[in-house]
Order: sequence, then C-alpha cells, then structure tokens
Amino acid sequence: MAKVDPFTRENIAQGLIAAADEMFLTWGRTSQSTIIYEVLDYACGLTDVNGNLIGQANGVTGFLGAITYSVISVLDKFGIENLKPGDIILTNDPFTGSGTHLCDVSAVLPIFYEGEVVAFAANKGHWNEIGGKNLGSWSTDATEIYQEGLQFPIIKIYEEGKLNEAVRDMIAANCRTPDMTLGDLYAQTASLRIAEKRVLELYNKYGKEAVLESIEMLLANGRKLALKEISKMPKGVFAADGYIDANANGLGDVYVKAKVTITDDTFEIDLTGSGKQVDAPINCSKYGAYSAGRIIYHAILNPNAEPNDGFYSPLKVIAPEGSVFAAVRPAPVSTNWEAMCRVIDLVAKALAPVVPERVAAGHFLSIIGTILGGIEDNTMEPFVLCEPQAGGWGAGFNKDGESGLVAINDGETFIIPAEVAEYKYPILVEQYALNINTGAGKFRGGCGLIRDYRLLNSSAELTTIASNHKYPPWGFGGGKDGSPNIVEVHHSNSLEPVVGATFSNYPLQKNDLVRFISGCGGGYGDPMERPVEKVRQDIKDEYITIETAAKEYGVIVDPKTLEIDHEQTAKRRMELNEHY
Amino acid sequence: MSLRIAVDIGGTFTDIVCLDENSGLIVDEKAHTTPTNFANGVIDAIVKTDIDLKETMYCVHGTTVVINAVTERKGAKTALVTTKGYRDALEIGRANRPDLYNYFYKKPIPYVPRHLRFEVEERLNYKGEILKSVSEEEVVGMAQKIKQEGVSAVAVCFLHSYANPEHERLVGRILARELPGVEITISSDLIKEWREYERTSTTVLNAYVKPSTTKYLDTLQKRLEEMGLKVEPHAMLSNGGTATFTRSKEVPIALIESGPVGGVIGAVALGKIIGEDNIITLDIGGTTAKTSLCSKGEVKITTDYKLEWTPKFAGYPVKIPIVDIIEIGAGGGSIAWVDEVGVLKVGPQSAGADPGPACYGLGGEQPTLTDANLIAGRIDPNSFLGGEFVLSVDQARKTMQPIAEHFGITIEEAALGVIKTANNNMLTALKLISVRRGYDPREFTMVAMGGNGAVHGPYLAAELRVGKLIIPNLPGTFSAWGMLMTDLRQDLIQTHIMPVAGCDLDKINLIYQQMEQEALSIYHKQGISPEHIVFVRTADMRYVGQEHTVRTSVVSGVIQKDDLQTIRQSFDRNHYQQYTFSLDYAPAEFVNFNLTAFGTVKKPEIKEISPAGPLEDALKGERVIDFDEHGRLQSKVFERSMLGPGHKIHGPAVVEESKSVTVLYPGQTLDVDSYGNLIIYTGV
Repeated sequence: MAKVDPFTRENIAQGLIAAADEMFLTWGRTSQSTIIYEVLDYACGLTDVNGNLIGQANGVTGFLGAITYSVISVLDKFGIENLKPGDIILTNDPFTGSGTHLCDVSAVLPIFYEGEVVAFAANKGHWNEIGGKNLGSWSTDATEIYQEGLQFPIIKIYEEGKLNEAVRDMIAANCRTPDMTLGDLYAQTASLRIAEKRVLELYNKYGKEAVLESIEMLLANGRKLALKEISKMPKGVFAADGYIDANANGLGDVYVKAKVTITDDTFEIDLTGSGKQVDAPINCSKYGAYSAGRIIYHAILNPNAEPNDGFYSPLKVIAPEGSVFAAVRPAPVSTNWEAMCRVIDLVAKALAPVVPERVAAGHFLSIIGTILGGIEDNTMEPFVLCEPQAGGWGAGFNKDGESGLVAINDGETFIIPAEVAEYKYPILVEQYALNINTGAGKFRGGCGLIRDYRLLNSSAELTTIASNHKYPPWGFGGGKDGSPNIVEVHHSNSLEPVVGATFSNYPLQKNDLVRFISGCGGGYGDPMERPVEKVRQDIKDEYITIETAAKEYGVIVDPKTLEIDHEQTAKRRMELNEHY
Repeated sequence: MSLRIAVDIGGTFTDIVCLDENSGLIVDEKAHTTPTNFANGVIDAIVKTDIDLKETMYCVHGTTVVINAVTERKGAKTALVTTKGYRDALEIGRANRPDLYNYFYKKPIPYVPRHLRFEVEERLNYKGEILKSVSEEEVVGMAQKIKQEGVSAVAVCFLHSYANPEHERLVGRILARELPGVEITISSDLIKEWREYERTSTTVLNAYVKPSTTKYLDTLQKRLEEMGLKVEPHAMLSNGGTATFTRSKEVPIALIESGPVGGVIGAVALGKIIGEDNIITLDIGGTTAKTSLCSKGEVKITTDYKLEWTPKFAGYPVKIPIVDIIEIGAGGGSIAWVDEVGVLKVGPQSAGADPGPACYGLGGEQPTLTDANLIAGRIDPNSFLGGEFVLSVDQARKTMQPIAEHFGITIEEAALGVIKTANNNMLTALKLISVRRGYDPREFTMVAMGGNGAVHGPYLAAELRVGKLIIPNLPGTFSAWGMLMTDLRQDLIQTHIMPVAGCDLDKINLIYQQMEQEALSIYHKQGISPEHIVFVRTADMRYVGQEHTVRTSVVSGVIQKDDLQTIRQSFDRNHYQQYTFSLDYAPAEFVNFNLTAFGTVKKPEIKEISPAGPLEDALKGERVIDFDEHGRLQSKVFERSMLGPGHKIHGPAVVEESKSVTVLYPGQTLDVDSYGNLIIYTGV
C-alpha cells in the first residue's frame, strides 16, 4: 500500500538523483587536477543498501558500472555490520569491483539513518598520479599490474570520521605529486558528504518508508522503460568481430568478437572467443567489460534513460575469465579503455545493420591517451600534459558524422585550450585543425583532428596509445570506412616523421613536433546518393577535395568556379555504379 | 522634463512603466509584442499610456532583439579571421559530448561556415610576445577575398590577444579600411580572458548581431525622437547596468539577456528602499520561471554563460558578464503530460499565449499549470486579468481528466499533482541558485514577480525556508520598473596569472589603472562626469592547481603589500563558503583582475502611500481553495487596490489584482507596508 502519493514519490526520486548531481558538481569545482575539472574523468552515484544503483552523474561514460560494483565489493569485504558512521572506504582494485585501472580510485560512504545503513554514496575518479613505474602512473608498456601504481585493496581511509594518517602518509610517499593527489582525496571525500547531507534531508522530511518506496518505484520504472525499448527491437543473434590493433609491447593484433542475443526480456553480450589476456596494459577486468556493456546498451536502448540498476537489469555480459575482456591478476590494465571501447564498438557494429536508427557508423574510438612530460628547463619542476584526443564520428541513417568530438569512452570531456596548454606546458600548439579524410557515404563521416605540439623544452618524453591504427572506423549500409588514428613525431633534425600509434616514454628534443591525427568517421549509405549540391557545398567549405568529389562521389566541378558539371557528373556516377 | 520611462519587450507582451517625478505617479501598460518589427510594440505601449515623450528625462529599454537574432539565426553574414592553424577552432569547440550515450548527438553548428573562416600568419606566445608579425600585404589580400563573399560583419580573434591586443587592432584597422561598410569586431575589445574557443565564439556572436542591432536601435531612436524624445535612450545590459544606444551598438552582445535582468535589479532596488539586502528573486511568467540571488545588495554576475546550453547540448559560450539567472521551463502555460513510463511531468513545453491554457477556451487541448490552479480554486475564473475574460473551469477539468484516469485519482487530485510537480521543478531552480551555491535561504528575503510569482511564491518560499516574501506593487510589470532603478555599468576583465605570494604589485596596480582609464573614457563619451563614477574591484583567484576560480574583493586605490594578506584571507573565506573547505596553507594565485565601473544616475524617489480604509472594504468575498495537505478550506478573497499600510491578513486567503493573484497559505500572515508592498511571513 502506497505511503505517499505518486507525485511526492517522484519528487523524492528526483531528489536522490539531484544528490548525485550535486556531489558531481562539488568535486569538479574543488579539484586541483586537470583530469578532474577539465576532462571530468569521474563519476558520482548513490546506491541502495544492497548496492543497486539509484542514480549516477557522470562526466564520462567509462564509469557506468563503477559505482555499483565498488559498493558491492565493500559489502563483500566488510559485511554491512562492520560499517560505521563516518567510514569512507577506498578501492582501486580492478579485479574486485573498482573495475577500470589503478588511477581510477573509488570512494564509498555508507549513509546512516537512525543507526542503520540506508544507502551508499560512492564516487570514482582519475587521480593524476598514483605512483608506479611511470609519471602519470599509466603506461603503454607495463607487463604486470604492480608496475602501474599504488593499490588500495578496499580499505577504510576514514574510520568513524577520522582520517587514517598512516594510509595518507603512504599515499604521499608513493606518489610523485603528493599535494595534488591528497588534494584530490579531500575533494573527492568532501563531495561524498554533500550527498550524505542531501539524502538525510530527504529521510528526515519524508520518512524512511516513503524514501524506500520511491527507490523501489524508480528501479521498477527503469526496468519498465528498458523492456519497452527491447520490445521494439528485432529478436535474434547478431555478431561482429575485429582486432585491438594498438600493438602495445609489440604484441600485434588481438582478435576479439561479440555475439549479441536479444530476446523479449534480455539483452546478452557474449564475448566468448575473444583473445587471451596479454602482457600489455590493454586488457580490462570483467568489471570493465560490464561497464562497457552498459554504455552501448544504454546508447542503443535509450540515451535519455536515467542510469539505474532497474534500467540495466535486462543486460547480461559474458566475459570468459583470462580473456582480454576479463583479465585476472597480475595482468596490467592501465590502458584498459582500449579493451572497453572495443566491446562497445563490436556491439554497435553487430547491431548497426538491423537497428540503423539506434546507432551510427564507426568512430575514431580510441581515446588516443597521451602523456607529454618532462622536467621544465627553467623551474626544474616536472610537467605532465595528460589528455585524450578528439576525433571524427560516424554518419547515421539521417545525418553526417560529427567532427572533432571525444570518443564514446569519454563524454563531457573538454579538450585543453591551446592558450591554457601553452601557459602550463613548454609547448606551442601550432595547429588545431580538421582532418578531412572522411568516410564517404550518402551521409559522410565526421572529420578527425590534427593537433601539433612543438616542444620548447630541452627534452621530454611522449607516451601515447591508439588503436584503429591499422583498421579504420567502419562504414555501413553502403558507406565507406573512415580513416585511421595516427601519431607522427617530426624530429627537428630529420625529414621523415616517425609514424605509429603507440609510443612508450619516447624521447623528444627541443623543436621536435608531435602530430596527433585522429581518425575520421565511417560513412552511411551509397555515396552516389549524396545530393550533388551537398557535395558542392562540401568542396566549397573544403570538407572534401575536388579529387575526392570525383573519385568517391562521382561529382565533377569546375576547379575555378566550383560550378557543377552536370553532364560529366551524370557520366561519372553511371561509371561508378557499373563498377560496383 | 519629469518623466522616467522603461520599456521591456517580453515573449508575449511589451511592458511599459512610466514614473512622473513631480507627482510620484506610476503608470504601467502592456501591448502585444510585435516580432516582425519590435519597434511597433514599443510605440504601441507608449501610445497606450498617453504620455508626452517631450517630457521624458530618462528612457531605458530592455530588448530581446539580440537574443532573437542569434536563436533564430537571423544575424549578418559574418566572416572570421584567426591565427594560422586555428580557423577550425570555432567548429571544434572544446570537443565535449554532453549527451553521453547518444550516437546521434549534434554539435553546435558554427555561426560562420568554414569557407568564411580565414587565417593570418601571425603568432604571439602566452606572455604576449610576438613570435611572428602581421604582414599587411597578406591581410589586404585576405580582405579582397572577404569582400568577394559579400559579408556584412567580420570577427577577428587571435591567440593570446588577451595578453597583447596589438595584432588584433592592427588587422582590425586594415580590415576597416579595406572593407568600408562592414562591421568589424576584434576580440580584445570585448574580453581579455584566455581560452581561444570561448573568446572566438563571443566575438563571432557580437559581429553576427552588430548590423541588425544597429539598425534596430537607430530605427527605434528615430521613431522616439519623432514622437518628441529629446534625450538619448539607454539600453538594458545583461550585466544589470545600462548603456547609451551609441555604446550598445559597439557591444551588442552585451544585450543578450537584456530582458530578464530588470526584475533582479528592481528587487535589489526595492530591497534598498525597505531595508533588505539579501534577496532571492522569483519571476514566474507564462513560459518560464527565473530566479536569481543577491547577497548583501550585490547582484551575482556570471561569465560562464552559454547560449542554448542544456545538460545535453554544449551551447555557444558568451564570455561577457551576465546576471546569474537560472531559468527553467515552468510557467502558467507549462503543459502537464505523462511520460513513457507513466510519470507526471510539467513543462518545458508551454501553451504560450496562443492558444494558451485550456481554460482560456481558445483551443488549448492540453492541461497546463494555470488550469490546475483554476481547478484548485487558487485562481478565480471571473477575475482573471481584471475580469478581461472569464476562464472555463469545464475546459480545464476536461483536459485534466486523462491525467486523473491514468493515476486512478480524482480531477482535483490530478490538479494538485500538477501543481506539486511544477512547484518541485521551481524549487529545484531555487535550490540551485541558493543552497547549491553555499547560501542559507533562511538569511534571505524572496521577492516574487511576474503574473504567477505571487501564486506559487508563498508555498515555495516556505519550502525553501525563506521567512519573508515580498509581493511588490505591479508584480506583472515589475521587470520594467526595475529598469528605472539601474545605473550605467561596465565590467572589465583582464586575465593575468600571478601567484599571490611574491606577486608583481606594480603590474597589478597598472592593470587596475588601465582598466579604470578605459572605463572613464567610455563614460566620457556617454556624457557621465567622473564624480558620478564608482569603481568596484575584484579578482578571480584560486589555489594553485585548481581551475575554477572564486571571486574576491580587492581594495581600491594603490594596492600595498599589506593589502595582499587581506585579499588572501577574504579569498579563503569565500572558498570556504562556496565549497565547504579552504586550503589556508596552499599557495594561491590571481587569474583575472576585474573592474566594475558604475556610472550612477539619479533614481526616482519612491513615495510612501497613504493609509487605507478598514480591511472589510477590501474583502470581496469567500471561496473554497484546495491547499493540498492542509485540505480544502473556506478562504477570504481581498482586492489589492483597496489594501493599504497597516492592513494585516491571515491565511488561508487570496489577494487579487488585475495582473496577478497572491495565494496565502494557512499559518501565513500578510502585512501591507507603507509603500503598498505585500509582506508575507511564511510561517517558517
């Protein structure tokens, strides 16, 4: 029997979601590291007493499973009876629920009302420095997790409100930037307390029964929405395969496959048959695979849905232990996004032909994680430019792909302005422009980007990793593939650039130039069906060249006036059609 | 010459408020807004008041011309000139993807297409030092290409121009010479803040609206002069100040939120008169609800405005100072609907003025918030808009029926559900502007305005735990009244990052001096003499390593070494207030130096009104009103025009006036103050 009317229940539910939002806002505003406040590489959420996600605010999609599994791992380790008011638990263990890599640290706070745990506030974010063999902690060449930084195996950093100073001092001693790292610890835990305050306000105002009823309703509505969307989709088995082609540690391509089975009330992603875990940090743990599964499930079912465990309940992800998608200790996982984004892309590729209205063609996908670091000549202080790159997105059944947008693993992620980068780091950003090798189609792929860094310091090191280097983003429905991700190093004393995708602590000298060329998105539909006038406009705006127009789209224009030669165009298009 | 007039263009109506300084008499009128030519609506409103423009000593205008030009994409064909390697900066933006799970997300489309974006081989570093000089020959060649495209505006934005504007100025001069008749905007004339995309976006938008704003303001001024106006009119700026039409034409983007700020300024001015300096405003109209917060008599200004931003759309940054207003789609016309999983929602879709709520009987077929208020008895069907037309309760009930059926409840309960949901949306906005920014609402007074502000204000104030609520005179046209109370205002910002400890004091003093000089010369052109100018200095500061800054006040005059400690301490305090912690031991730095220059103008004097007759004279009758958890209660109905100082009313009751209704809850009391404002004690 309802204790409260449906409108009040909805108000309470909105209040819970708002608490997660406010926690998110607070952390971002107070953080001292770029990766939090500019890149928003963190997430905040609330769960019920069993760890079921009630609401989550994310800056990036990659943390979608993080809150739930972190809370469950806390419950598994301590048992609810051993949690006390004022406790805050830290974990970054990829293999027991924190899920991604060691740099991403989860903090969990049990919320007590009238002496018992009623909910959990939890958050997780990227700490810029957590020790390990490399500055910035993640590397592209680790062979074991022990090289990737300090591990927090689900420990109480605050016990009944008191900071564990021994742990704090160990963090400080094991990180290269202790002030910043501890600053982030404080900002992260302070934001948990904001959520606690808001949740307790709701309990005080409406009472426990009413809040619990609201949570129940919220989860039930989430599931209802998911089933409704699944009912609109074709049922059956759909599959795709491909490679992780980042070539980390020179290990070559890793074969991966996904089988998606949709029934009336389940959406199953089976990753069986994918390659084994490798001695390079491109693996993810099974929790990483679960999170990735949630991302593409959310995108395909309904991008507007509120994230909660009701909505995700029809989803099942199968990742065989010991595979690249469910690596086990001591596998390195510090660039686990390469495996995670591949799960997303495989599912998208498998389903695109049957639900083109729900997913677009392939995009540049790899976040092209980059570290440019060294010791600044004048101050002798270390500098670390750590950022993802943006690139081209795929075309959809009704639109061209977007140009210069962060990858699916990222989200509300802001690329660092050139003016800020040049102030903070000894570099010149000489170019930030569109890469126009887009996948042709009735709707064409979006443009990737070209970003040039000229080093002004006497020396520095480059670490970067990119997949989709050999195999470009896929087009579909007759659309062509896009173009690959490429990193070039132009040494000032050499004419030929060094071209690759993955560089590990690669030495740079003053005046060397690093060029990041992110891939362009795949196209959708037959390029011959692209209206001639649109092709002409693309030529005028220099999104495509005159040569590409002729070769890919069969459109011939006068190079001077850019007027269309209709006769030649008709002829050319007929030739191309016959050719296929 | 004793008249002060303010004309405010809104989405539905153009409001005018006219005050005669001699008699103290205030007249307000509304005319329909005329989107095809806004000047017509302005003239219509003036004509309705029957005033003689020759007698006008001060005229201020709040206008939606700029925001309409940008949202309807009706600005000028504009070209952009950037540093080499950066013509795509405008299109790339910050590359963020706020709609996290959407494969079909669409980025903001640039206001300047790629073929109209040009590059110049020039380069500065972050210190403003020249790495590559401008070649005049190259710029002249480029100007020829721009000419062939037939643009009417050009925006120029170079890297690091906030540190050294010389390259932009030089190129601006060459373009002006080579492209006669084309409006040129250079970024450093608008802002001296870093971040190339945000600065480029702002510059482009200014260029984009310049030709049409100039035309509009010129036309309007001419027509007002033909009607006898002898003084130069002022425009309401988004920062809560005003500027002459001449100045406004140079920085038209500063008019982007010209409309909504009047109410905020009015509330602050009203607060000064009656001794309240912590104010939360609540302006509920037909389509939206807006709220803003003023602490210690100071209007909050933001420079993080993004045009068309939503949580799922990146929007277009406009880095100019704008009064911090939160606006949500919740007003009288907001439509109630049931979403795909069966949850009741209200807004953001609005029935607008046409067809309007179902109860208007003009063809509206969806239930709105006004329909719900009518069913709950909070609005009287016979006295709406002063009885201009009778509302149809039957229509309202008919459209509410499906919602009642969906939930298996009565129509009355459904109406309460709609009110509750709308109230919750508004409460969220009120919390965002107050609690979430570190303010305790219990220390604030709320001022409610707009046609529906007084309907929902008493409930919302109590929920927010605000003790005192003011319903001013003429709440329906209060925003225009507020415009009469504004000073001229300029906000100047200079980015220059510098640690607090060991900072270059001479440099800081020089920056403030230069900004003060710039403000003086702009005011000089507007005929304001130095003794009427007031400078307020602030700095945006942060702990080293942080990105977001906290605004901190800075002493005037020559800053001495000792002052730095005061500044630092006040920064720590502000940081603590906003974010619940401070890092007193950590090094801090200056990021921006800000100057606000007020050009004070004489304000109208507000006179007290004479005591009224007995309260019984104002009593119109009684009716049953549904107060939700308090039940359906027999409530007294009063006529506001018959109320006067000394009157006291206890809830449940309603006070009706021609353009609004005040709903007083059980347990609340209402006093009429000596100016005729309704002061409500919310019972918390």
